[in-house]
Amino acid sequence: MKMTRTKRIGAMGLGLALLAGLLSGCSGDTGKETIRFTFSKREAIGFMTKLVADYNASQNKTEVVLDTSGVDVVSASFVRGNPPDIALANYNMETSRFVQRGALSDLSGTHAASLIREDLKPLMEQYGSYPDRTSALPYSVMASSVIYNKEVFAANNIEVPKTWSELVAACEKLKAAGVTPFQATWKDDWTIAQGWFDYSVGGQVDTLDFFKKLAEEGTDVGPDSSASFQKDFDQPVAKMLTLARNYVNKDAASRAYGDGNLAFSQGKAAMYLQGPWAFSEVAKTAPDLQLGTFPLPMTDNPEDLKVRVNVDLAAWIPEGSKHKDAAQDFLEYLYRPEIIEGYNKSQLGFTPTKDAPVTPDPRIAGMAGYYEQGKVYQGPSVLVPKTIPIMNYTQAVVFGADPASTLRTLDADWARLAFRQ
Amino acid sequence: MPEQTTLPTDARQAAPAAAVGLSRPVPIAKQERINWSGTTILVLCAVTVLLPLYVTVSMAFKTQGQAVDGNAFSLPAPFSVDGFVQAWTLTNFPVGAAMSLLVTAGTVVATIVLAAFASYAIVRNWERRLFRFSFFYLLAAMFIPFPVVALPQIQLTGRLGLDNPMGVILLATMFQLSFSVLLFTAFLRSIPLELEESARIDGATTWQTFWKLIFPLLAPMSATVGIFAFLYAWNDFMMPSLIISDPALQTLPVRQSLFQTQFSNNYHVSFASYLMAMAPAIVAYLFTQRWVMAGVTQGAVKG
Repeated sequence: MKMTRTKRIGAMGLGLALLAGLLSGCSGDTGKETIRFTFSKREAIGFMTKLVADYNASQNKTEVVLDTSGVDVVSASFVRGNPPDIALANYNMETSRFVQRGALSDLSGTHAASLIREDLKPLMEQYGSYPDRTSALPYSVMASSVIYNKEVFAANNIEVPKTWSELVAACEKLKAAGVTPFQATWKDDWTIAQGWFDYSVGGQVDTLDFFKKLAEEGTDVGPDSSASFQKDFDQPVAKMLTLARNYVNKDAASRAYGDGNLAFSQGKAAMYLQGPWAFSEVAKTAPDLQLGTFPLPMTDNPEDLKVRVNVDLAAWIPEGSKHKDAAQDFLEYLYRPEIIEGYNKSQLGFTPTKDAPVTPDPRIAGMAGYYEQGKVYQGPSVLVPKTIPIMNYTQAVVFGADPASTLRTLDADWARLAFRQ
Repeated sequence: MPEQTTLPTDARQAAPAAAVGLSRPVPIAKQERINWSGTTILVLCAVTVLLPLYVTVSMAFKTQGQAVDGNAFSLPAPFSVDGFVQAWTLTNFPVGAAMSLLVTAGTVVATIVLAAFASYAIVRNWERRLFRFSFFYLLAAMFIPFPVVALPQIQLTGRLGLDNPMGVILLATMFQLSFSVLLFTAFLRSIPLELEESARIDGATTWQTFWKLIFPLLAPMSATVGIFAFLYAWNDFMMPSLIISDPALQTLPVRQSLFQTQFSNNYHVSFASYLMAMAPAIVAYLFTQRWVMAGVTQGAVKG
C-alpha cells in the first residue's frame, strides 16, 4: 500500500518533469537561426502571420517566430535579460524608457534607416532619445482627426469646415436640423483625451515647442513659467468645452467606445472624434457607410489646420538580443517598399518612408495632404507621463470640473514629477 | 431560542404600541408555506449568475456584426461558430489549454502535499519555537501580493532557468501555501492525538502515520485546499504573463488577453474563447459538485 502510494506520487512528479522538458525542447533544433519577433497589434496579426511565413519560406538562414503575447511580457523579458530579437510595437512613453536607458541597439547603419522621412525625426525624439543612436524606426504612422459621415454632411448641405467659426456654424446648422453634431463616448476617458482634448489643444498649440519648454522649466512649471498648462491650454480647453457642452449626444456621459461606434455607424451623429482604428469597428455594422476625415479647426486661419499623428508601430532591436544580424536582415525585409506600403494600406496607416506614394483610402484622404506637408502634431495626452492621470483630468473637465483649477493641478503634478526625477 | 426572545424586545423598543400584539404566543406554522421573500431573493441571486452565462453562450455563437449591435440579450441569428474557430486558432487552444492544465495540476498537487506536510509538522511540534515561528513565517506570505515582488521574481526565475511553467507552478504553490497551511493546521488540531498514539503503538513510523492515518483524514480539507489552488492557478493572469518567457508555453488567460484591446471589440471571439476556457472548470464542477460544496463551507466554520 505504502509503496504504491509513494510510487504513484513519484511517477506523477516524474511525468510533470518529463512533460516540461519535452515542451521546452520543442523550439529550435532546425539548423536555422531562430529569432523572436514581437508584434501584438490585434487587428494585423493575420497580415503579419502571413508575412512571417513568406519570409521563412523565402530563405533558409533564419526562422522568424511571431510572438503576440503583448506589452507586459516584453517588459518582463527585458527585466529577465532575454528580450525579443526584434519588435514592431506602438511607440509611446513606455517604449521610450527602453530607448532612454540604452536598451535598444543602434539602427542608423541600416538601409531601412536611410529610407525614413527626415521630418518624422522630431516626432520620434519627442519621447526621448539615447545619444548617438537611432534606437527605433517608425514603421506605421497613424493620423487621426474628425471622422465625419459624408451622407449626413451632404444631406444638410454642409461643407467641410476649415475655421473655428465655420465649425460652430456647421454644428448650429446640424443641431437646427435635429442631427447630433458630435457623437461623444465619455464613459471611456481615453476617448476624451485622445480626441476631444488632443484635437483641441493640438489644433491651437505647438505641442512640440510646448513640451520642450515644459521639460526645460521642470520643477518651475507654474503660473509664472514660460510654458504651463494653465496658461497655454486654457483657451483650447475652453473651446473644447464649448463643443462638448452644446453639440453632443444627450447620453454622452454613459456611452463607451463600443456604443459610440455602433451609434455612429447607424448615422446617429455627423462627426466622431476618433482615430482610424474606429473605421474597422464602424464597418462591422455598416460596411458601406461613406466616411471621411478632416482636421478639427480650432482657429480662424485655415493655415493652422493640422492632424494628430502617432507612431503606431516602430521597429526596434534590443541591445540584449543574441541574433542582431539576423534580426537586421528581417528588418530590411520589413522595410521593402512593397511590404511596408502593403502593411500601411491594409491598416489605414501612413508609410513613413521618403518616396512612398500616397494613395490613401478615401476614408483617410482628408488627412493625406496635411501629413505630406508635415502639418502634424503629437497628442499632448500621450506626451504626459502615465504617472499623471491626464485622461481622468480631461474626463473631469468634460463632466463639469473647473477647467482652470484642473489645469493648475496638472501644472503642480508636472512640477512634482520633475522634482522626483 | 435567544432569537425568539430578542426579537420582541427590539420591536418593543422601536414601537411600544405594537408590543402588546407581539407578546402574545405566536402560533407555530404547521404546514409548509412558500417563503416568498426568500424565494425572490434567491431567484435574483440565480439570475445574477444565469444572465451573464446566457450572454456568454449566446454571444459566442453570434456573427461579428451581431455581436457589436448593442443587443446583448438577443439570440444568435444566424447561428455561427466563427467565433470558436477564430478563438481556437488565435490562441492555439490545445497548447494553451495543455499549459493551463499542467500549471494548474502542478500547483494543486504541490500545494496539497506541501501544505499538508508543513501543517502536520507544525501542529505536532507546536511547543517548539522553530515550528511556531515557521508557521508565522508562512502566514506572513499572505501579506505579500505578487505584484510587489514581481520584479525580483522575474529576474530570479530568469537566472535559474525557471522562466517556464515550472517556475509558475513553484511560485503559485508558494503564494498558495500560507492560506492552505492556515486551513490545514486548524483542521489538524481537531484530530485527536490518541488516534496517532494507537498507530504508534502498532509500530507505525512518522511517515507511515502521516500517509496512512493523517493524510486520509485530511481529505475533506485537502479538497478545499485543492479547489482554492485550482481556481487561483487556472484563472491567474499576471504571474504566468510575467514569468513565462517562451510565448509557446503561455497559459490560456494570457493568450486570451489578445482579445481585449482598447480599440476593438471582438465579443464573439472573446466569449467563445472564454467559454472554452471555462469548460474544464465547469465539467470538473459537475463531477465533483458534492465535494466542492462541502469543501467551500469547510473553511467557513470551525472544524
